[in-house]
Amino acid sequence: MRTFLHSIQEVWNARALVGVMTRREVAARHAGTALGVIWPYLQPLLSVAAYYLVFDIVFAMRLGEGASSHAVGTFLIVGALPWMAFCDAVSRGMGSLLEAGSILQKNPLPPVLFPVRSVLASSWIFGPLMLLLALCYIPVHHMQWGVLALLPLMAMQLLMTLLLSYALAIFAAALRDTLQLVGFALSVGIYLTPILFPIAMFPQGWRWLLWLNPMASYVMGYQSALLQGQWPALQVWVVSAVWIAVLAVVVNVLVRRSRDQLVDWL
Amino acid sequence: MTGMHMAKTQETASVLVVKNLGKEYKLYDSPRQRVKALLTGRAMHRSHWALRDVSFSLERGQCIGVIGDNGAGKSSLLKLLAGTMQPSAGTIERSGRITAILELGAGFHPDFSGRDNLYFAGSLIGISQEEMRKLEPEIIAFSELQDAIDRPVKTYSSGMNVRLAFALVTAVQPDVLIVDEALAVGDQSFQKKCIERILDFRQKGCTILFCSHSPYHIRHLCDAALWLEKGQVQMFGETEAVLVAYDARTRNLQKEKDRLQWGEDVPTDALATMSDHPDSADLPDAPDAPFVVKPPDTSRVVPHEGACILSADIENLDGGDPPVLRGDDLVVTIKVRGNGDEVPNVGFMLEQKDGVGITCIATHEEGAEPVRQPDGSWQSVLRFTDLPLHSGDYTVSAYLFDRSGLAVYDHWFQYQTFRFVYPKPLPGLVRLPHSWS
Repeated sequence: MRTFLHSIQEVWNARALVGVMTRREVAARHAGTALGVIWPYLQPLLSVAAYYLVFDIVFAMRLGEGASSHAVGTFLIVGALPWMAFCDAVSRGMGSLLEAGSILQKNPLPPVLFPVRSVLASSWIFGPLMLLLALCYIPVHHMQWGVLALLPLMAMQLLMTLLLSYALAIFAAALRDTLQLVGFALSVGIYLTPILFPIAMFPQGWRWLLWLNPMASYVMGYQSALLQGQWPALQVWVVSAVWIAVLAVVVNVLVRRSRDQLVDWL
Repeated sequence: MTGMHMAKTQETASVLVVKNLGKEYKLYDSPRQRVKALLTGRAMHRSHWALRDVSFSLERGQCIGVIGDNGAGKSSLLKLLAGTMQPSAGTIERSGRITAILELGAGFHPDFSGRDNLYFAGSLIGISQEEMRKLEPEIIAFSELQDAIDRPVKTYSSGMNVRLAFALVTAVQPDVLIVDEALAVGDQSFQKKCIERILDFRQKGCTILFCSHSPYHIRHLCDAALWLEKGQVQMFGETEAVLVAYDARTRNLQKEKDRLQWGEDVPTDALATMSDHPDSADLPDAPDAPFVVKPPDTSRVVPHEGACILSADIENLDGGDPPVLRGDDLVVTIKVRGNGDEVPNVGFMLEQKDGVGITCIATHEEGAEPVRQPDGSWQSVLRFTDLPLHSGDYTVSAYLFDRSGLAVYDHWFQYQTFRFVYPKPLPGLVRLPHSWS
């Protein structure tokens, strides 16, 4: 794991620069717009508001047995917002190295900084939104202590997204098709995550499939924390931790194999 | 000899020590092979070593020129030294701040203002926000952008882009400066400012590694030269010696190429006959040739401002084609407009028509300042008394330099051909000063 630790050290040594790059990335996402910094926040907020209006106000749909909430919109939003955060961070992080090609070829910077800044910029937008959601859901979870699970869950999701984005960014540098493949996987992935339906509705024999999706455990964790105010089951933590460990090993191998040629591929 | 000299000073003042440096490019047949190599860790590539076993060290204040053919590994070496590429073998020990002027203007975000980009690009090269606040006025002044600094970079011309980038990267005095052919940026007065800034760094003890195709600049700027050949150090030492060796090698290669072009079965004396009569090889001059490339005539369009050559007339030419020089002396009157009140320098080059150089002369080399004319222009009259050439056709070029002789403001390359007839029918090129006893 020497290579992996070295990457962490590179990010730490350049933490001031990472801060500058992250602020800049957030600014670049709304550069030239009239509303400015409101835009990145407004887009997910508007989708969430649309879910609520359509499912809970207009149609007033109800979920059946086994769901942690019976209002469809309320249930959907808890999974959809972290999923949006995940998609945003992964798709931007994945392309970050290719995008930074000309900068990396001219400045002696560690490549790892670029996926890190993309993912941090996404979490800078979605992190506050998640906390805002927790506030809006007070009538649902009644501020029971299980809500606190939100913080470690968000931290772990950030870590997992960082690792996955870096790994995919290296893949994308080697093979541009990665962008298309993963883009497709992300658009289909929402159906393979218990966001639109409670896991109880998933056929018993096929539930293990859900664990192959790195976001499934997080979505279930958020659901129990925000909808029931309960500390998520042990399974959620174990699966999330295993995913992080596996991704760390993968990143370690990829960085070691690509280090001396990565910039040439961009 | 050079090696010993280097070793002696290594402990004291080396700012850059390169040992057995190598760079391997892994060539994959397709991106899929690249992924396979990533996934399996097996070697799926053919390797190309752009650099192999390169070792040298630079002392504080030294200026080194890197020469070599295209593909000899110059750019790879500079990128490795700048740290934008990772070496495949060997080590580089750097000390202090390294600034590389590799390719300017990259990394600016088109939607942000010049000032915004300055702060961001500055942080990429290690200038913190507080430092930048102090440096900012000087950078903006140097880049000559004035109010445009608050406009988005996408509205900039390429010249403005490059000026801002150059001002930024050179805002902080580095310990080692790496320059890759970047002297040709912007308009002539900005080019001059760039050169002056680099010279100023050098005077303050900055080590400079300079990569150029221009032997002229290497000769004037560098204390030592490094000649790369196929990724390896062919020669490292005193500038003149390396340039002469490189030049000799280049000529030999050219000769070899010509030989291959003419074919091996052409008898050498046939070649000699052809070069004796340059006209016979001048096929484009035949009357029915569809397109004739002629040297530009002297009635050039003179720009209204900026330093330029106004005229460079040769006396006593008749109206033939090519004109024949009447008389024994070659007298060239070069009139130029300088850059403001700065004293310019004038250069002159005489070549045989088919390309062999005979002599180059420049006023700054000989301390012969051009003479100011009442209208503000400058004039130099160059006289070759009793022109010591044999009969043949000759081509001349004129150059205009700045005061230091480093920035080339204007050049009329091979602007005139003339024929000289030496009354005695002896073959040869020049008549050297000699005596019999």
